[in-house]
Amino acid sequence: MPGCESGSWRAMTSDEQLILELQQGSDGAFSELFLRYRERVWGFFRRRMNDTGQAEELAQETFLAVLHGAKRYEPRATFRSYLFGIAFNILAASRRKSAHDRTHAAAAAEEMPARSGSNPENVICIRQAVERLEAGEREVLLLREFEELSYEEIAKILYLPVNTVKSRLFRARMALRDILTATPGSLGGRK
Amino acid sequence: MNSSTHPFEQEEVMAYLDGELSANRAASVAAHLRECAECAALAEQMREVSSQLTNWSVEPAPANLTKNLEASRTGHSSVKVKKPNGIAAWLGGKLTPLSGHWAWGVGSAVALALVVLLFTTRRSTTYLQTVPEAQLAYDRPRSRTESKPWVAPASPSHAPHNASQMAAELYSERAQTSENLENDLPASRGSLPTFQRDEPMIARTASVSVMVKDFGPVEASVRAIAQRHNGYIANLNSALPQDAARTLTATLQIPSAQLEAAVTELKQLGRVDQETQSGEEVTKEFTDRAARLKNARATEQRLLDVLREHTGKVKDILEAEQEIARVRGEIEQMEADQRALQTRVDFATVQLAVQEEYKASLQSAPPSTTTRLRNAAVNGYRSLVESVIGIGVFALQALPTLVLWGTVLFLPGRWMWKRFRRTAAPQS
Repeated sequence: MPGCESGSWRAMTSDEQLILELQQGSDGAFSELFLRYRERVWGFFRRRMNDTGQAEELAQETFLAVLHGAKRYEPRATFRSYLFGIAFNILAASRRKSAHDRTHAAAAAEEMPARSGSNPENVICIRQAVERLEAGEREVLLLREFEELSYEEIAKILYLPVNTVKSRLFRARMALRDILTATPGSLGGRK
Repeated sequence: MNSSTHPFEQEEVMAYLDGELSANRAASVAAHLRECAECAALAEQMREVSSQLTNWSVEPAPANLTKNLEASRTGHSSVKVKKPNGIAAWLGGKLTPLSGHWAWGVGSAVALALVVLLFTTRRSTTYLQTVPEAQLAYDRPRSRTESKPWVAPASPSHAPHNASQMAAELYSERAQTSENLENDLPASRGSLPTFQRDEPMIARTASVSVMVKDFGPVEASVRAIAQRHNGYIANLNSALPQDAARTLTATLQIPSAQLEAAVTELKQLGRVDQETQSGEEVTKEFTDRAARLKNARATEQRLLDVLREHTGKVKDILEAEQEIARVRGEIEQMEADQRALQTRVDFATVQLAVQEEYKASLQSAPPSTTTRLRNAAVNGYRSLVESVIGIGVFALQALPTLVLWGTVLFLPGRWMWKRFRRTAAPQS
């Protein structure tokens, strides 16, 4: 492995240590980070983009930005929040550019294939329910549930107070609960 | 629910589930949830929403993502690559507002300046081949000749390189392993739980009772059936009485997909007396556990973050560590339960009972009289020894008590005896 002497050793290294190694020019560190976050970054854009190709380009752009901006990384935040902060900024720039300041998740309900092994009806049901949420609440919910960011990390990415993040997240979850409960064929949500 | 009737706001209950509270506060909310049914119901609804969201999975990342990223790093123009979005990407996404025509203009000017500068200083004929990389503002510390393809799928555009090939194989293998882990257990290594199944998860059990004429080869046959169907014998007991039918009971763990075939073969051992099959759907239980596991992992991560960033009192740190240990214990317990549940689904349990068709045989010759007398003598001697030992044991156990009470009662007894004799003497 280029720049990587031991795969198992790499697997035990923290993200933050890897980005510091990347600052020193380690190709293996970047490879490991890419391996760890490829699917998650892809999922980040795929859940928000209609176009698969565009999602792929933005995911690629995110990793390139990490690669080229590694020297500017400061270990004051977790790499995960740093990465998704970049991804979010790239997503926002793309939306501004394409004049689609909204998520395309529900619009792509019929076009977006579900992952093999998942129930397409459930995926569509959930996606449509999320699409019905208010944009700000939806973004907080997605960042929390899928990117698994903490309230503080979400607040930094969205430039919001932590309490606002908490309130939006709570409203999003309650609204989603109500939508799923009212949706026939939902996954047995209860109120 | 409001603060007048509940000590915690709803959002705080949610924050507890997300692992966003301090150790003390989390412990308080946890205690309240155990007592307050309303808050517990809210927490359950929150978990349900999170659980349902896990159904929203997307297809795996396309292979082109890896290939194009590699191509963009090595500067191959044959592959369609979206270059970093100008200065936005160059600045690590921190200054995305700079994207657009203005950014392209600045980028082009910088690139042009670099081209002029390098051209005038190096005058290298091979320089133009590196221009695309320079335009991407790569600030890699290594030169291009030093860098190696970090992921090299089988592609003629990449010269075979042992290290890169090994890396590609390793990445591929690890990616597959990771995928398998995700399919086996949700939220492994703290990742997003994407475990999904179309079919309900059924824990299947079967019970077969068979009567056989020839009991001899039964055990070997049962072992062969288990082995043939990739299962194993969890428990096996044989009873081989001389004067009654021999029996064998066994518990077999058979892959669920092969349950029917295995049961069919087991039934062919003899005449089937009884057969039952049942299934328990554990989909909801599995999903609920996955959601709880995810929340517990989030709690643990949050606690670790708090501990890492904490600069307060030692007491608070110790309490946080205790809370981490508690949460870690819960996670391990939940993981073990999850694995056990997964095993119940993957392997069906077959209870097998085999009984021989008993045929009474003629009794053998009774023991001789001499033997019976000898046995009687031995038993008599054994009874004698046992009785002597029993008396000795009783004496040793009771003697101290008898001596004590004898001593205590001796004087009153003697006095009463003398008085009795004195009163009896005058009368005589």
